[in-house]
Amino acid sequence: MVRAIFLLLLCNLSAQSSQSIFLILNQYDNNSRSIDSSLNANFEGALFQFTEPVQELIADLEAEQYPAAARMGLVKRIGLEYDVEYIVNNQIKRNNNRLFLEGRVFSTRSGGLVLRRKIDLMNYRNGDLNELNLWVGQIIDLVYPGWIENREKILFLDPSDITYEKTPMGAAMRSLFVPGWGQAYSGKKFSSIFWAGLELSLSTAIILSYIGYDNAVKNFLQYKKQYDETDDVKEIASFRSLASKEHANHIKYNKLIISFAAATGTTWIANSVHAWVVGPRPSLKIYRKWDSTKTIAN
Amino acid sequence: MKYLISSLAVIIINLISAQVSLNINAIPRDVEVLIDGEKIGKTPLRDVIIRPGMHSFELKKKGYASLKHSVDVNPAESLKMDYYLNPIYSIKFFTEERGLSFELNDVHKWSKNKIRLEIEAGEHFLRVYQNKKIIDEQTFTVDEPKSIEYIIKKKISG
Repeated sequence: MVRAIFLLLLCNLSAQSSQSIFLILNQYDNNSRSIDSSLNANFEGALFQFTEPVQELIADLEAEQYPAAARMGLVKRIGLEYDVEYIVNNQIKRNNNRLFLEGRVFSTRSGGLVLRRKIDLMNYRNGDLNELNLWVGQIIDLVYPGWIENREKILFLDPSDITYEKTPMGAAMRSLFVPGWGQAYSGKKFSSIFWAGLELSLSTAIILSYIGYDNAVKNFLQYKKQYDETDDVKEIASFRSLASKEHANHIKYNKLIISFAAATGTTWIANSVHAWVVGPRPSLKIYRKWDSTKTIAN
Repeated sequence: MKYLISSLAVIIINLISAQVSLNINAIPRDVEVLIDGEKIGKTPLRDVIIRPGMHSFELKKKGYASLKHSVDVNPAESLKMDYYLNPIYSIKFFTEERGLSFELNDVHKWSKNKIRLEIEAGEHFLRVYQNKKIIDEQTFTVDEPKSIEYIIKKKISG
């Protein structure tokens, strides 16, 4: 939809152009006279004569069978009148953030149209001045790299060249390191607290299960020792019962450790995957602009 | 006979001399160029010889919108053309609203709540319909691959 064409018909001007005198005819659709003074300042070594546009010169030029030779008499006449070698005509229009520029260079020696250029660009800040600088600069072989850089700044980037400050992968890696960090990095505070809390709870459960397991093992060994050492029938029965209970506890806590460890690991991975899913991605919300009471029938 | 030969010689000389040296640059690089449907090569192209007259130029590169236009090449000594191809971005367009249909740039229409679009970077015109009535029109800019959500703040009554 948005497309730019730079078209430049070049006719070996550069060799002679440094001594040339240009008559610049700039046509603006608004008051942009400051551009003319900027051009004067940028090309101090060149001679310019700014004058009112000569409508006759370009009116219906494209409709002519031979546009390049259609205004020979007029071009030569203007050349003699202003004592210039070239006439540069620029038509500059701005429509919102779109810039249209059509430039033509006529040689007053031959009377022919020797260069032609069309530009149609979007979102080009100060594009009219920059393009005129480039255009005149190319004619007289004096182009500053900054002008080319300015033009390139407006171009949309190749998707592979676009860099993002925050990425879903960055979020995933952070959450893999510390659960909830990736979500916090993406601005998802609730998710961040949820995952961090879940991981903390599961880790606590592992620790508590381990403590329970360790106690059960210690108690079991103690009751087993007491069971082995005693000859009292009642104590034998009691220690046996207690040892059996601790043995069962140790198995229970062992299973809990394994279950909570598995849950922690799985949740850890899930937290990282979730961080990637909800990770920062470029998005745009388009809200309805029209008033609902003013619907229009199709 | 002499007249015929000399006329032929003049025509041949004119044909040989009436050639235009063509230089084509494009951003990005390595854009395939077709002139009058014939593949010429990839940019940057230097000193390609063509005849004066009307020629159609086509520039293609994967991931970028193709460009086609015609140029009436004057019998100048050289022709320099600079092109900029616009990248195409992948857009995920979705809405939670019900009963809406959309139209993009007066051309593409859809009524699904979730759709993936491959569209050129730049401004695009969106028209929104509900019950065959236009309920919204607006322009938005696509400057990177992104997801776009359409939201109606207030439900329409009646």
